[in-house]
Amino acid sequence: MMMENTQSEQYQKLTQELRRGILVLAALSQLEEEKYGYSLISSLAEQGLDIEQGTLYPLLRRLEDQGLLKSEWNTEGSRPRRYYQISSEGSQVLGNLTEEWRNLTNVMEKLLAGISS
Amino acid sequence: MSLLDRYIHEVGRFLPRKKRGSIQAELRSSVIDTLEGRFGPDPDRDQVAEILLELGKPRDVAASYHPRGQYLVGPGLFPLFQMIAWIVVAAVLGAQLLAFGVSVFIAGEPFSALETITSLVSSVPTALGWVLVTFMIMQYFDAKPYLEEEPWDPKALPDRNPEENLKKGELIFGLVFGILFLVLLTLFPQWVGFITTPGGKFFPNPVILNYLVLIQISLLANILMDIYLLWKGSWTFLTRMIKMALEAFGVVILAFLIQGHNVWLAGKGSPGFSAWISAIESNNWELVGMHAFRLAFVVAFIVTVIEIATTIFRMIRSKMAGDVSARDFVLKVE
Repeated sequence: MMMENTQSEQYQKLTQELRRGILVLAALSQLEEEKYGYSLISSLAEQGLDIEQGTLYPLLRRLEDQGLLKSEWNTEGSRPRRYYQISSEGSQVLGNLTEEWRNLTNVMEKLLAGISS
Repeated sequence: MSLLDRYIHEVGRFLPRKKRGSIQAELRSSVIDTLEGRFGPDPDRDQVAEILLELGKPRDVAASYHPRGQYLVGPGLFPLFQMIAWIVVAAVLGAQLLAFGVSVFIAGEPFSALETITSLVSSVPTALGWVLVTFMIMQYFDAKPYLEEEPWDPKALPDRNPEENLKKGELIFGLVFGILFLVLLTLFPQWVGFITTPGGKFFPNPVILNYLVLIQISLLANILMDIYLLWKGSWTFLTRMIKMALEAFGVVILAFLIQGHNVWLAGKGSPGFSAWISAIESNNWELVGMHAFRLAFVVAFIVTVIEIATTIFRMIRSKMAGDVSARDFVLKVE
């Protein structure tokens, strides 16, 4: 039982690590149009990628600090919301990361082709 | 105060002041969005608690907004911090024991175990505290003590032949004693001397007092050099040269001290090395003590000169060995 728990914890950590690497690319890809935090989470979830709020909000801040996103408060709705949109620098990075991702998935498909699930 | 207000307030406690307001406002609006999206416009207390539970502990949420992590002393500075901390602990403990020894055995003050333990217990954390505060400031300003890190070139890795390896234990031993000696000379210069008769009066060595500043400078320079060497981990040509220069400086000071003793002893009519026998015979313990000091300085002088000569010899030999092995390698490749 103990062993099973440890294994499942380990699996969870590995999955988290694997997903962490793609979050930046996923977020940037959805911010051609401006979105606020919850709308971005919903949009990603609708397409099959669940991100925890506690992970996404700090990530958006970090990307903004790095100049890849720009943000502003919008007070027109029912409550003030902070909207994020990709910057021109962010678009460039998104292009490069997308290319990198495609190369990686090609390679990984080849590497994993012989493995039975 | 609603559950959400309490949560946002609690997160704010752990956030950097500069961004606190803005992060709290965004977090609040996002949580309300999530609540509305999942439970409609009027969520109950349990539903709020469910979302907050998903979001995570306030402390963890706040920590995720610190991009470089939260460290008093980060991984980059930690090895240096650890080394300095150990040296400081050893030096403070040594200085305390020395001060204790001086006060009890030389000044003849009464021994108080409680006082000794109290001062040991309070001085070590104080010293460590100062080291920590210094490193916290370095961490805050993102100080990078390892200047050679960027750009990194594997070819520039030091080629450590055994000659360049530091004898760490020896170095730390010397360092701690250097610090102790410096503390002794600075705090109790009047206690550098000897007792003329068992249980008799104390005679401070007048020649050492004359050259006190030079001795202190030499000790301090050696201490700083040893700390630098420990940090670097190995000898280089430059550090060997500096160390030799410091030793040469030491030799000069020793020469001054010997000469000073010569003059003092000649002034007392006991100039030559053999004159200490007649000093013992006449029970003149002041003269005997000064003769002993002079002899110790002469021995130190000779030892240091031999040390410098050995270092020069080693450097020449290692240079020649390096050339030979390089030539062998070229021959083999050809």
